[in-house]
Amino acid sequence: MDITPYPKLFLANDLNEALRALRELADSAIPLAGATWVMRAPLRCETADRTLIDLSRIEALRTINIDQQEAVIGALATHEQIANALNGYNDLAALAQAAGHSANPAIRRMATIGGNICTAEFAAADLVPALLALDARLEIEGLDGSRTQTMAAFLEARATRAHTDLLTRLIIPRTQRTSTHARLTLRKAGDYPVANLSVSIALGAGGKISAATVAVGAVEAVAKRWTGFEEAIIGHAPSPEKMQMIAKTCLEEFDGRDATDAPGWYRLRVLPGLVANAFSTLQETTLGRAM
Amino acid sequence: MTITLTVNREERIFSGDPRTPLVDVLRDHLRMTGTKAVCREGFCGACMVHVDGAPMASCLLPVGSLDGAAVTTIEGVATMEHLNAVQQAFEDHDVVQCGMCFPGMVMTMSRFFQTNTSPDRDEIKAAMTGNICRCTGYERIIDALMSIRTNEVTS
Repeated sequence: MDITPYPKLFLANDLNEALRALRELADSAIPLAGATWVMRAPLRCETADRTLIDLSRIEALRTINIDQQEAVIGALATHEQIANALNGYNDLAALAQAAGHSANPAIRRMATIGGNICTAEFAAADLVPALLALDARLEIEGLDGSRTQTMAAFLEARATRAHTDLLTRLIIPRTQRTSTHARLTLRKAGDYPVANLSVSIALGAGGKISAATVAVGAVEAVAKRWTGFEEAIIGHAPSPEKMQMIAKTCLEEFDGRDATDAPGWYRLRVLPGLVANAFSTLQETTLGRAM
Repeated sequence: MTITLTVNREERIFSGDPRTPLVDVLRDHLRMTGTKAVCREGFCGACMVHVDGAPMASCLLPVGSLDGAAVTTIEGVATMEHLNAVQQAFEDHDVVQCGMCFPGMVMTMSRFFQTNTSPDRDEIKAAMTGNICRCTGYERIIDALMSIRTNEVTS
């Protein structure tokens, strides 16, 4: 007999209610943010009869605050909100562009940054490489208190993490850098990218790259920093052609992911071109503004 | 769990699994079959409705999350006597073939034109990326939508 006091969809009014429900229901419940992944479970042949803990009424998780030190983004902020709120900030452009070009307008209106990060099965999430490149930290809340974590540490443990804690906020340090995001889809309308890439660079003397963080998504099962490429481009001018040439020499860091949309070798093959696209965009937009 | 919605300005009550997608509540329980269930993953746009004024893919919305919301479907976006500008443009330009995708297009673009009074062709295409048509090709649809802007500008 089912004796749970929770309906099959529980509307949490605040964070504590949500955390208590998740702890009490354990594996029989799942948090519901924008719903765009969870509601497609039947298409993935997932038949688990789980209770949905709906977070949408927790207004505190929707806020976005940007000041000179940091950008703080609530986990329930949608892609559309983020694209609008971050528009015009050179250093945050990678995240603004990733949020503004993912999926399609209706999905961007629903899908949240928290859902994008927490969905371990979604290799092609656009916001994840952007957050890696921007050196974001995550704030995670449990009934026992809160803690912060780097994106890399969170991704490493993501697939096995218990759902009794909730991601509440993303904290991105503000910098003097410029950034951008590039994605390659097989068709224009709404596809998942076969590869995506976020770049954040600082320019030093003579317009040469003095610091760089670059992250790649969709190529492997989990997005990661492209450290060899980051090191190799230091001291070079950020020309798309030069960056593409260097990228071709740094592909051994990746083991391409085979999936129905594209084979692994193809994802690697297109990556240098995606690098060229990203640096072209940087030249046309943020670097142009910064100069 | 009982959920109360306002659908096309009428209060409606749903008693059932709150995880049921809104599109199934509309079609199977309220018999409003203008909203189409096609891809069920938010990519095709055929199930688009307005929720509190915003176009949303109703296949991805669990009805339990919508208690108290105002939903407008294709049946309520205009009257039979007076089509809205998007419906009229589609009819005038004779762009409809099978009709499966058009309710969703009307819902997406009706809202779009409320906030974008003079979009260019690329902006219209960007707004339409979540509405897929497999019959017509898109250019005549875009022509029809561009005429709305032109009419507004010249009137």
